[in-house]
Amino acid sequence: MSNDPAVVIDTVAEFLVHALELEEASGDQYDELADSMEIHNNIQVAELFRKLAGYSRQHAKEVQQRTEGMSLPKLTPWDFKWKCPSSPESSCMEEASYLMTITQAMEIALFNEIRGRDFYVQVAENTANEEVVKIAKEMAEEEGWHVEMLREWQTSLREERPLEDLDPPNMPE
Amino acid sequence: MPVPALKAKDYKSDIKPVWCPGCGHFAVLSALTKAMAHLGLVKEKVAVVSGIGCSSRLPAYIDSYGFHGIHGRALAAASGLKAARPDLTVVVAGGDGDGFSIGGNHFLHACRRNMDITYIVMDNEVYGMTKGQASPTTRPTWSNSKMTPHGTGIPCFNPAAIALAAGAGFIARGYSGEPSEMPRLLVEAIEYPGFAFVQVLSGCVTFRPDQRSWKEEVHPFINDVPTEDRIKAAQIIQADDGMATGVIYASQYPVWQPDNQKETELSLLEQEFDL
Repeated sequence: MSNDPAVVIDTVAEFLVHALELEEASGDQYDELADSMEIHNNIQVAELFRKLAGYSRQHAKEVQQRTEGMSLPKLTPWDFKWKCPSSPESSCMEEASYLMTITQAMEIALFNEIRGRDFYVQVAENTANEEVVKIAKEMAEEEGWHVEMLREWQTSLREERPLEDLDPPNMPE
Repeated sequence: MPVPALKAKDYKSDIKPVWCPGCGHFAVLSALTKAMAHLGLVKEKVAVVSGIGCSSRLPAYIDSYGFHGIHGRALAAASGLKAARPDLTVVVAGGDGDGFSIGGNHFLHACRRNMDITYIVMDNEVYGMTKGQASPTTRPTWSNSKMTPHGTGIPCFNPAAIALAAGAGFIARGYSGEPSEMPRLLVEAIEYPGFAFVQVLSGCVTFRPDQRSWKEEVHPFINDVPTEDRIKAAQIIQADDGMATGVIYASQYPVWQPDNQKETELSLLEQEFDL
């Protein structure tokens, strides 16, 4: 059990601002990873990250629709109530590598999706607002579906040979 | 009609970064655009100036004016620009090699000149673009380069201490793995009236994969920071392990800005130089 203070969000508007930031940041980061994988000719991994970016963008669109007509609080990047140094679904970027395999990329994606799901679960568990509970549970369920889907993909993958760089970084022999 | 507020992504250009996947510089780019959006900067009133190196590609990825200069001379070019156009927000970006080795002399004098410029150094303790040689901030025992197979054996440069000794009025350190905190540091640096130096620990996943451990090593300062007291700041910096993040020192000094010269015709200048 974590001893960190619980994430408490008690208004729908504040919750939706968090959800929007989480999904947009995730979409941006997956797109960024897909772009740089394409540049480094790791096409299979680029395609995976592009697909995940698409899911995050779709979620962001759905959250955006929920906010229509609402007055939303304007939060600075450091006002968000994340329990980690970044938005929950956009962490462990530094684990990426141009030589990563699809299996390794899947691990990053799974880690992020679990963190996203857990964020929504925590919000639902700690808020006093019934409407926030309802929306947060719906979102946790959708993220949970992504987690299950990624796990299924993972089990269907064959063991891969690590990618090789014919002009490797200048390391001692 | 009021102009709609720009979002962080509006400050990104259409050019896709060629940095390696996982590079810390992505987070610095993101933090800078968030800071620009938070401050509501007008794109046409911002200039991002750089030297040479992976991090110095940053101006191309920002949708404002930019100047990708020569190695180590970013601060010189930026100082000239600020002298001529004090109305611009001038941000300088570069790496540890560009800023502390090739451009080391410019760094010292930019600190003491105290023009209203923000200097972001993305420090990955390595020359990444030229395939992994030791830089001024490389620790003496790092031996994973063919150029220094037994380590450099030389104590590394302490950017915060040098900046303080050279007269900088704002000194901060951030970490690319803290993307929620980085924009705040950059907002404070840009708002600071004078030379603001921000060292960002920004790991190189390709030539320094060992830097992935930084996320476990980075920590807040144990002392009360920021301080306005130069002596206290010196003590904090000397006691620090180089992995503490936050604004270390913020004090006000007179900002140097030359009086604007009278505008003149090009033909008169040519006469003066006998062209």
